[in-house]
Amino acid sequence: MSAVLDVSKLMTSFPAGKKRVPVLADVTFSLAAGRCLALVGESGSGKSMTALSILRLVPRPGQIDAGSVTLSGRDLLTLPVPEMRSVRGREIAMIFQEPMTSLNPVVSVGEQVVEAIVLHEKVSKQAARERSVELFRRVGIPDPGARVHSFPHQLSGGLKQRVMIAMALALRPRVLLADEPTTALDVTVQAQILELLRELQAESETAILLITHDFGVVNQLADDIAVMYAGRIVESGSRTAILESPSHPYTRGLLAALPGRARAGERLQEIPGRMPAPADVPVGCPFAPRCPEAIADCGAWTARLTKLDKREVACLRREEAGGAS
Amino acid sequence: MTETAGSPDQALLSVRDLRTWFPIRRGLLRRVVGQVRAVDGVDLDIYPGRTLSLVGESGCGKTTVGRSILRLAEPTAGQVLYRGQDLLALPQPELRQRRRKLQMVFQDPMTSLNPRMRVRSILEEGLLAFGIGETASERHERAAEALRRVQLHPDHLKRFPHEFSGGQRQRIGIARALIVEPELLICDEAVSALDVSIQAQVLNLLAELQAELGVAYLFITHDLSVVRHLGGDVAVMYLGRIVETGPTEDVFSAPLHPYTRGLLGSILSADPSAARTKAQVLGDVPSPADPPPGCHFHTRCEKAWAPCQASSPAARQKGRLTVRCHLYDPSIPQSRSCD
Repeated sequence: MSAVLDVSKLMTSFPAGKKRVPVLADVTFSLAAGRCLALVGESGSGKSMTALSILRLVPRPGQIDAGSVTLSGRDLLTLPVPEMRSVRGREIAMIFQEPMTSLNPVVSVGEQVVEAIVLHEKVSKQAARERSVELFRRVGIPDPGARVHSFPHQLSGGLKQRVMIAMALALRPRVLLADEPTTALDVTVQAQILELLRELQAESETAILLITHDFGVVNQLADDIAVMYAGRIVESGSRTAILESPSHPYTRGLLAALPGRARAGERLQEIPGRMPAPADVPVGCPFAPRCPEAIADCGAWTARLTKLDKREVACLRREEAGGAS
Repeated sequence: MTETAGSPDQALLSVRDLRTWFPIRRGLLRRVVGQVRAVDGVDLDIYPGRTLSLVGESGCGKTTVGRSILRLAEPTAGQVLYRGQDLLALPQPELRQRRRKLQMVFQDPMTSLNPRMRVRSILEEGLLAFGIGETASERHERAAEALRRVQLHPDHLKRFPHEFSGGQRQRIGIARALIVEPELLICDEAVSALDVSIQAQVLNLLAELQAELGVAYLFITHDLSVVRHLGGDVAVMYLGRIVETGPTEDVFSAPLHPYTRGLLGSILSADPSAARTKAQVLGDVPSPADPPPGCHFHTRCEKAWAPCQASSPAARQKGRLTVRCHLYDPSIPQSRSCD
């Protein structure tokens, strides 16, 4: 399988006084056509910053310092601004957590899809209108011919997210960036949207980069998982490898802390402390201060991913245990 | 009405036929053109030292139930019996004293803690309001103790809310509620905004505090995994009404109401060997301003038939569960089989 999207040694930082504080360090992964990779982590892990860096939308004064983002052979980080603008939306589409804030409240939802199509493609408005009705049907919006005339406030949260998905898919993008696509939805509606995304992915070659904190969502959609902590990928591998036999102490801790896994009333496993702010990330392994397995050497070890049966993991203890190759 | 000491099998708080309607006003004269029936005939029983989880999707009215119990939202009708005494019939000054026993923890501690007050003042405010602690030094000692109880350091008393992380602020919210020694803590989505590793810390803390202090929890949440973890009892709410209630274990192992079944079937497991979840309940929750007639759930229910549109089902006891569904009404000829 060839990668559609290749992210290599991505470094993004923000200034703090005279220094620059890294928010992403050495983020590397690749995404193949028709596959779904989940970036999982808690708030502050850098998962959304990774998405913004790929799109070159890092808010000022933040900046990308190094690395490359290759989309079908072209490095996006060196692309001229007008070309980058046509990549966004057309080749890399996005869906966000809050469909309400991503839709224009004074334009009908159908017209917003039409706008997206005619902006990027040379088609008549009439043809774009017909396509938007078809897209609405495909994402399961009931009565699509009438719904295209609705305004965002007239639609429920689930329908708005379906509109966002229709808009994202309108230009048949190579990559779909889905940032917490179901977090704001109710559980019954969340199940519907995840099923829709799964169906759509099965029938197209669009690759999905799923960004979420929810391992339940990951398990529904992802083929592969990359776990992030303090701006770094600490473990990556197939969905079953990570969820069945997590290796990094942080991944293990996160899965053990899920309330669904313990028996009712049983004490949940805690991870002491909390994720450090970017300026406070310790030298050595960033997870060492919270890690139950940390030894003195972890504080001086430069975190790097090493191959260890069916996965990559950035942990000194695993490397020592014979994972190095 | 007299106050009784109350035995464990006697409810600490009983909610009876609670209705909280909000008027919809339109036009220049702000005339009332309709009612949002946020809470429409709710019955609940909370027992001393136990947890009742109130679970439902957004707009079902679960938050309004919590606020109505404390009269932060004024109920339209019904009773809220605290140890047999109806809180809805109490005049304001007496109600204020009663609130000492019924405290609340909110979802977002950033917006529920006054940013201009130091933690010490936030905690001592409750003590002053209820006249607890004779001297300033006694109040200070109690505030320090309250922080220790939620595993924060007494040094934190001097700080402001913004100096804390989300998890720590939620601990302060819990300390503020517990410092006046309540018998019931209403937790409204108290762990929903927290990251998984922090959520585990706060859930463990709440379990410890309950074991130590014997405080009862009304845990309002949309998170079914949290409900299952908490144990105790659960009430499932849909569009202003409780559709099913009983011991959490029983409801999760053998749910009766089609909505509960759909809701539980929508839980996303993180177990890779489990089958991927199929959407169980189609469509969206209708607007509470214009709920469907009869059983509110019939528009999304695959088992619905004629009687479901005609009348609202009454509560019926089935084993340890109470369910409101025509499927379990023996007086209605069952054209379809259930179970």
